[in-house]
Amino acid sequence: MTQPATTTPRADQRSLRKFCTSPIARLVLAGALSLAMVLVAGVQLGAIDLTWAQVWAGLAGESSQHVQRVVFELRLPRTLTGVLIGIHFALSGWLLQLLSRNPLAEAGILGISAGASLVAVAAFIVGDWLVSSANPYNNTSFALQYLPLFAMAGGLVTALAVYFLGMRRGHLSPVKMTLTGAVLAGMLHALTTGALAFWGHAHTELVAQWLAGSLYGAEWEHLRTLLPWTFIGLAGVALLVRPLEVMQLDDEHVRTLGLVLNRWRAFALLIATLLAASAVGVVGPVGFIGLLIPHISRRLAGANLPVQLVLCVLLGAVLAVLADLLGRTLFSPYEVPVGVVSAVLGVPFFLYLLSRQP
Amino acid sequence: MLRTEHLSLAYGDKQVVDNVSLAIPEGGITCLLGPNGSGKSTLLKSFAGLLPPRSGQVFLDNRPVAQWDRRRLALRLAMLPQKPVVPDGIRVRDLIALGRFPHRKWWQRNLTTDDNATIDAMAMTGVSDLAERPVEALSGGQQQRVWIAMALAQETDILLLDEPTTFLDWGYQLEVLELLSTLNRQHGLTVVMSLHDLNQAAQFADRIAVLADGQLDTIGSPAEVMTESLVNRVFRVHTSITAGWEGRPFCSGFAESAQSRSRQRPRCIATS
Repeated sequence: MTQPATTTPRADQRSLRKFCTSPIARLVLAGALSLAMVLVAGVQLGAIDLTWAQVWAGLAGESSQHVQRVVFELRLPRTLTGVLIGIHFALSGWLLQLLSRNPLAEAGILGISAGASLVAVAAFIVGDWLVSSANPYNNTSFALQYLPLFAMAGGLVTALAVYFLGMRRGHLSPVKMTLTGAVLAGMLHALTTGALAFWGHAHTELVAQWLAGSLYGAEWEHLRTLLPWTFIGLAGVALLVRPLEVMQLDDEHVRTLGLVLNRWRAFALLIATLLAASAVGVVGPVGFIGLLIPHISRRLAGANLPVQLVLCVLLGAVLAVLADLLGRTLFSPYEVPVGVVSAVLGVPFFLYLLSRQP
Repeated sequence: MLRTEHLSLAYGDKQVVDNVSLAIPEGGITCLLGPNGSGKSTLLKSFAGLLPPRSGQVFLDNRPVAQWDRRRLALRLAMLPQKPVVPDGIRVRDLIALGRFPHRKWWQRNLTTDDNATIDAMAMTGVSDLAERPVEALSGGQQQRVWIAMALAQETDILLLDEPTTFLDWGYQLEVLELLSTLNRQHGLTVVMSLHDLNQAAQFADRIAVLADGQLDTIGSPAEVMTESLVNRVFRVHTSITAGWEGRPFCSGFAESAQSRSRQRPRCIATS
């Protein structure tokens, strides 16, 4: 088919200037600013409030040993781990919502977190038993760095089950997928609780705290365990952006545009599961971030997927760090798990956005 | 070009298309007609390689469609489903640009050629003024033109449309069909579509294929196909066929069941 002659292409410079003054650039800038603010607050505030000068001196390594310890060993690793889990859960939810064209999809609702939790808890209990039976006087518990791997195995099996059970006549049915996920999540959660009650022994309390989704006691080791998966996840999401734009259309439409749908959907599901399950393996299942942040990003960014992606990263981190900060300062010295606070914070905002929906 | 040989299609155990052999003429408008459930949509899907044949074959350029690489196939053949899904909040320009997907590597952003093809597609379908509007806010007729623009941005030489007029009022129906007819004449676009309205098929098609119970009943020019006996046999409608617009056949009729209920029913008069 022949095409008539067309208008001249846009100049790159003009589009760059247009971008810098656009509402999109302002959104991204606002997101980055709020992330910077919660990061500073995350290090500054806590059981002992530090001054700006103290934080600065602590980061530069010029303060008392006490401040040094609070900044470097407690607050910095905890805040940065919060950033990572925020990114993980937000991106995972974003991918799941797009790949299934289902606004309710999220690792928690689809049972992926529950599957990851069950296998991680089982691995923890079995590993601990193996270690202690081999050497009864050794009370170091099962190594942290393996937990994300077990969690991912559990998450992947659950994700595949939900995906295939959610099919109807060769098409992915959002309703069926959500229902299957909710039912599986309930069952897996019950199994986890049961396993804990029977075989948890001395670790029951520790595991229960982990199951609530908490950043309590997050150290550099947690961050190190999670960081490789963050990079893998981000790389995967970057590769997926263009295909995801097309995958928002009807399945058959997508295929006639030349996309091998099953291959890309499987890849997106894999990345979403790796992101959510690795975070579950380190800090436990944290709900709501994966549901709320993608919705908020979509409302703010419109249909522009690259902008949605950037906002998911920024706002996911903001919500996780802010929720953790509030959880450990509001009722200090008691701590409210980050999952609980993120729900309390996020849900009203989410309802507000829904009510404004055209 | 596109043709089928002894093609049979099925969903699970349910046979939908049975032993159909037909050829789609290059550069023409072909309409698929037939009652509900006669296999029109299914046949269109198999043309686009969306449904593997149970037996027989669909050929594009003498090569089975199933053997085509999906992306290469997307460069030859675009399809508009009956009820396409509008991505949340997307603008007209961005939706049409999705049609460019097969033209670039999957990681590439919009290329200049993409922008040009998108602009051309908008101009051809008359939606340039709507470029920045969200698709959800448009009327049914405007949306259908946007979808056609997206298929045009794909720059294929074959366009398949599954009942492109179904959810539109009469004025928009004719508008869409005239647009397709113009694109066919001016750009040599091969159009294959399923329709429900016999007179619209007769008015716009070069060739009509009539399906009944998954089998090909008749294929030919409108004048050859639109006979009182055929319409009666396939649609169970009593008709009188007259010469309509530009000498194309025009039919009016009433259902068989209606006749048995009341023989006094006044017959519709064809006005053109």
